[in-house]
Amino acid sequence: MRLTRKSDMSSATGLGISRRQFLKRSGAATGGVAAVGFMGNTMMQRADADDGKTPVLDAPVETKRTVCSHCSVGCGVYADVQEGVWTRQEPAFDHPFNRGAHCAKGASLRYHGHSNRRLKYPMKLVGGEWQRLSWDEAIEEIGDKVRELTDQHGPDSIYWLGSAKFNNEQAYLMRKFAALAGTNNTDHQARICHSTTVAGVANTWGYGAMTNSLNDLQNSRSIMFIGSNPSEAHPVAMQHILLAKEKSQCNIIVVDPRFTRTAAKADSYVRIRPGSDVAFIWGLLWHIFENGWEDQEYIDQRVYAMDDVREEVSNFPPDVIENITGVPEDLMYDTAKRLADNRPGCVVWCMGGTQHTTGNNNTRAYCILELALGNIGKSGGGANIFRGHDNVQGATDLGLMSHSLPGYYGLAEGAWQHWASVWDLDYEWLESRFDQTEYADGKPMHSNGITVSRWVDGVLEQEEDISQRTQLKAMFYWGHAVNSQTRGPEMQKAMQQLDMMVVVDPYPTVASVMHGRTDGVYLLPAATQFETYGSVTATNRALQWRDRVIEPMFESKPDHEIMYLLAQKLGFANELCKNIEVNGTEPLIEDITREFNRGMWTVGYTGQSPERLKTHQQNWHTFSFETTQAQGGPADGDYYGMPWPCWGNPEMGHPGTPILYDTSKPVSEGGLTFRARFGVEHDGTDILADGSYSRNSELDDGYPEFTADMLKDLGWWDDLTDEEKQAADGRNWKTDLSGGIQRVVIAHECAPFGNAKARCNVWTFPDPIPKHREPLYTSRRDLVENYPTWDDVSSHYRLPTLYRSIQEKDMTGDYPIILTSGRLVEYEGGGEETRSMSWLAELQQEMFVEINPALANDLVIQEGDMVWVEGAEGGRVRVKAMVTPRVAREVVFMPFHFGGIFQGENLESLYPEGAAPYVLGEAANTATTYGYDSVTQMQETKCTLCRIEKAS
Amino acid sequence: MAQMKFMCDAERCIECNGCVTACKNANEVEWGVQRRRVVTLNDGESDEVSISVACMHCDDAPCMAVCPTDCFYKTDDGIVLHDKDLCIGCGYCLYACPFGAPQFPKQNAFGERGKMDKCTFCAGGPADSKEEEYEKYGANRIAEGKLPLCAEMCSTKALLAGDAQTIADIFRQRVVQRGHEDGAWSGNARADADNLAYDAAQEG
Amino acid sequence: MTVSTPWRLVVRRLSLIAVLLMAGLLLSQLTVAQSDPDKEAGFAVPAVDADIWRQVRSGDTGPNYRDSRADSNYNLVNASGETWRQWRNQWVSPYGLIVLGGMLAMIAIFYVIFGRKALDEPRTGRKLLRWTVLDRSLHWSVATLFLVLAVTGLNLLYGKFVFKPLFGDALWASMISGSKLLHNYLGPIFSILLIIVLAKFLKHNLPKKHDWEWFKKGGGLIGKGHVDAGFANGGEKVWYWLLASVGLLVIASGFVLDFPNYGQARDTMQWANLLHAVAALGLTAVAFGHIYIGTLGTEGSIEGMSTGYVDETWAKEHHNLWYEEVKDSARDETELASENVQRHPPDNPATDRPG
Repeated sequence: MRLTRKSDMSSATGLGISRRQFLKRSGAATGGVAAVGFMGNTMMQRADADDGKTPVLDAPVETKRTVCSHCSVGCGVYADVQEGVWTRQEPAFDHPFNRGAHCAKGASLRYHGHSNRRLKYPMKLVGGEWQRLSWDEAIEEIGDKVRELTDQHGPDSIYWLGSAKFNNEQAYLMRKFAALAGTNNTDHQARICHSTTVAGVANTWGYGAMTNSLNDLQNSRSIMFIGSNPSEAHPVAMQHILLAKEKSQCNIIVVDPRFTRTAAKADSYVRIRPGSDVAFIWGLLWHIFENGWEDQEYIDQRVYAMDDVREEVSNFPPDVIENITGVPEDLMYDTAKRLADNRPGCVVWCMGGTQHTTGNNNTRAYCILELALGNIGKSGGGANIFRGHDNVQGATDLGLMSHSLPGYYGLAEGAWQHWASVWDLDYEWLESRFDQTEYADGKPMHSNGITVSRWVDGVLEQEEDISQRTQLKAMFYWGHAVNSQTRGPEMQKAMQQLDMMVVVDPYPTVASVMHGRTDGVYLLPAATQFETYGSVTATNRALQWRDRVIEPMFESKPDHEIMYLLAQKLGFANELCKNIEVNGTEPLIEDITREFNRGMWTVGYTGQSPERLKTHQQNWHTFSFETTQAQGGPADGDYYGMPWPCWGNPEMGHPGTPILYDTSKPVSEGGLTFRARFGVEHDGTDILADGSYSRNSELDDGYPEFTADMLKDLGWWDDLTDEEKQAADGRNWKTDLSGGIQRVVIAHECAPFGNAKARCNVWTFPDPIPKHREPLYTSRRDLVENYPTWDDVSSHYRLPTLYRSIQEKDMTGDYPIILTSGRLVEYEGGGEETRSMSWLAELQQEMFVEINPALANDLVIQEGDMVWVEGAEGGRVRVKAMVTPRVAREVVFMPFHFGGIFQGENLESLYPEGAAPYVLGEAANTATTYGYDSVTQMQETKCTLCRIEKAS
Repeated sequence: MAQMKFMCDAERCIECNGCVTACKNANEVEWGVQRRRVVTLNDGESDEVSISVACMHCDDAPCMAVCPTDCFYKTDDGIVLHDKDLCIGCGYCLYACPFGAPQFPKQNAFGERGKMDKCTFCAGGPADSKEEEYEKYGANRIAEGKLPLCAEMCSTKALLAGDAQTIADIFRQRVVQRGHEDGAWSGNARADADNLAYDAAQEG
Repeated sequence: MTVSTPWRLVVRRLSLIAVLLMAGLLLSQLTVAQSDPDKEAGFAVPAVDADIWRQVRSGDTGPNYRDSRADSNYNLVNASGETWRQWRNQWVSPYGLIVLGGMLAMIAIFYVIFGRKALDEPRTGRKLLRWTVLDRSLHWSVATLFLVLAVTGLNLLYGKFVFKPLFGDALWASMISGSKLLHNYLGPIFSILLIIVLAKFLKHNLPKKHDWEWFKKGGGLIGKGHVDAGFANGGEKVWYWLLASVGLLVIASGFVLDFPNYGQARDTMQWANLLHAVAALGLTAVAFGHIYIGTLGTEGSIEGMSTGYVDETWAKEHHNLWYEEVKDSARDETELASENVQRHPPDNPATDRPG
């Protein structure tokens, strides 16, 4: 969506790069242009306008199969390479996810092979100037500092902030790296993306991932998007969604504070007030229960504590709902009826649902709605959580998080022992790497580390209030856009207090310019995913193999090689790569895959060997566009990418699980039950499934998760081979490294993780039954009394976390307008990469704020005016006004992809030479405020308060 | 002979701008010139609709009729191309074009606009060598039996390119499907209707 | 001295070109079919409902119209483009030719019927200074620029029918790009000079009572005897005022077209283009008459604009009132000739003095 609209345009304005900038950047080459400048308006704003087109080569074409790195849809790409140059990009018509289709980002992938706004060589900031370093010098200096800080302040003083842009192997290696460095202070963007989904959904029915697939959306009869805008965030998913609409008259319902591009394609659009998701869902359930539209048989068999929900919902009759959400009764009824009449249906949510202080409540409420309608575990149904980054699902699964080891094993001693045995390392040695002191949260080895959303507070908080030895002293921003995080001004303060900042990225990122420092910043050029290879997990849990398209550009190195180099310097390279072949300084990707295959039993990342993944990659055309199942060919019967759980070891040949909890299929063919993750009873009530089981299951009722002892009780123990018996004895399905337990259980067509009910009551969470709670910065003070937030928490993920003390202050006098944020189709995340690609940058040249025409009139603001948007904590951004009915009168919206201008100050000159993106803009998150989810520390980006003034 | 046409199915266009950057990818047109654009009408209103537009390769092309240098010509496939060596940048084609397709790299005093650029249906243009053709006009996918990259990469298969008859048939089929409860989505018809950016090479 | 021969040549060539252009036009008339942008747009963008479609076709964008092009001010459909094309190709272009050809034909017929307007009386040999060097330089600069602009303009409008097939692409390419360059760069110079000329000659061209008489007598064609005329006769004043009105229109519209960097809309430029073409073609046609009268048609006129001096007889017969004013300053031909060898005529003659 573009800012400029027809009426106010003259061709001389509306360009992100001003004439002056253009002339300044392009230097002598444009002298001629400058000479005629006063009379001309050349459109050639591109600074490197003289860099020419890709050469036309006659050399033989090598066609690589890769996967788009911009979102989790996982679009396949054919990359033609000649003489090492990426000369062509051809649509992969045979790819089962996208059939050759791409959005703006995917269609410009080839630019990655030509971008020259990259970080080109290691650099450090000395006296405010960027100085070039060799790799050896850089690793030496950084390593020495890490050692010094570790010696002085303990390993927890260093934060290893990883990335969802890593491939699976790199994400896994990074987590292992942090573990070996002796800290849980590692995380990645899933924390500020879908952490509340993962927590909320996994705690409802077992796994916190998308239940079905994009392809399966074609079978839906109704799809409700709440806080999700696939037209901009996952455009290729719209192919499947529009097919559903056309094929089976699927009802598309969009629930959003903003009339999005997706809403434009919907049958029904419902505008809600930001932060009222739980109330909205309860409003739907009120009508569903009132009219008896719930699937009672399904609930009886597979759902626990729906009655508790009924009770809560009874407090939300239509008039209360209208008061909280702004949605009138007839529209609520209509929406509920559409969902009830059109089954199977699914709900799709994204950041609009997750990025709230109440995110975990929201995600659980969505799940409960689908459970009431009996939509989970069915083709066309599901809780379809569209993930963000291309590998945010994989990086989450592989545990690049502060609260877990790979595979959601957690941080308890058992988990460490499991991984120590997979890594073939001595547990005591591992333990010795950590700070042994016990703090408020416990011993650092077993207590959740600081989250990416809170590293700022990890630096700024008083030492005695942090549940570790000291504040954070050094930050590694390894593939992270700091401008995608809230509270910009405080972040800048935190950056200034650090002893060292290290940015490892293909692009300089906003972190390298917004710190206001003159020393102690290092930049290490990382290779993109097109310059390395490995596996990547799409939103539907399918793993895809990527080819290396081109060699790393400039002096960049692949992330796993940089990890190895640092480990070498820090003295644990041999442990890091004990069973991984290292070529020179680059660990072998396939060996890393095989290593996590050996340990990831919980989520079934065990069957997807590099060999099987490559077979799938080479046979895209054999997989069905409708079901993703291979019809014939070498992968016959497999689902594309073996969506996890792909049980057992690769030799077992499990096809992957296309739809989670689908009891209509045998487990061996991708069927599943709800996971028995929460014991067998609660408050004296049996919570195992009641009369529901997967097809052909030899146990025709609920059962707990499998252990060696259970096999013995069932008389299945002797199905194991002798070797398997040896490995499995005393273990369970998660810890048996032989895979024997899983093999035997599946041979009996049972689910290794048991067969239980999904639970509506998550008794371990602050709100066991999701509650509507007003946002910390709410515009509805009148609702605070009835729907207050939680009390402050003294230590959560090692940090004090505020709720009530913030909500108590009434800010609506100075900050009357609700501020929400979201994304644009052309850019991704913090946008440094995509704003450095001229094909994309050209489409969105200016940061803007969407203001409703009525509000604009109230504020005396016109389209195109520059305005100051000031957040409730004082962060200010100077942006252009876009007057549009997309937003309601009381809400304004800003996209969050911009950076490089900070509170009115242009930071362009601070970028290393030739590395500034084509388009800079204020970061929306400079104006966003405090607020973190009570379970996962998710940041609040979707609902805060602001005021707007016309800028002079 | 095929008569090549574009068609944008507004029911499916989501303004993802994939066509715009796909074109950049294929043709590497300089900053400021976008051979394809997406316009959105009634943005943010209930009747919002987005449409992808480029040169439509008109049967009776107004640009051809008004060009003072007569630099346009029509290929046997009905593709309207132009010779940049003849173009003088007068801007007349821009005045006449119904779709705002012709663009100029600059817009300077004394009518200095540079050579006009517009969509070539990925069919290149007149040049002595492949290198020159790519430099001046971009890709010639038609010569390789492929269709324009914008349509081939369209995220929702909204943008169709190919023989006018064929794409009209595809569209007609979609209309039928939309009007019927699961109508026409059975048998082979579905594969055809769905296969939008079909491969021109298969058309023979 | 005589200049009539080269002018005759020019006129002949012009008429030849006109015939060629006519032929080309006929051809083009045959090939220009009615285009149907609605049909194109209807094919290109189906699946929009009738209301949206009406909106699209009207070219009206509404407040919530957005375009992915950063600096685009174009509507989805250029509603006036086809109108412009029809006006230009179906009206301006053919009728322009007819007007130009008609003018040439009328001049030819006039010449055949009336022949050259010779002086009734013999020359006295005494000369009056009519045009100073500055006047003449201005006139000839403007005249030359006018001709270049006319020729290049005509080439832009009609050249492709004649020269492209005649010369082939290579020569045509440089010819047409040369035409455009000359036209665009000389246009502004012409504009400035024309404005100076208009200012400078304004006082001679203020309408007077006797001008009415002049028109009634058709400049002397009707009835016997000479009609009264001052420095400029009625016909010249018409030419002046045409240049001062239509000429300025051509200049203004030309600037709109020549300086697109001021962000004027496509629609504005369409209208400017039509005005520019119609006005310039009209002026060109009238200029044919001016050229004829000033050269071939009237004995003695061209002398004034080439040497600066006219014969007393010529002055008496064509500009009697002016003659009365300046007759005392007449000088002998031989005297002037000898003087001319040594120095140029005075720069500040009586004719230029006020009063």
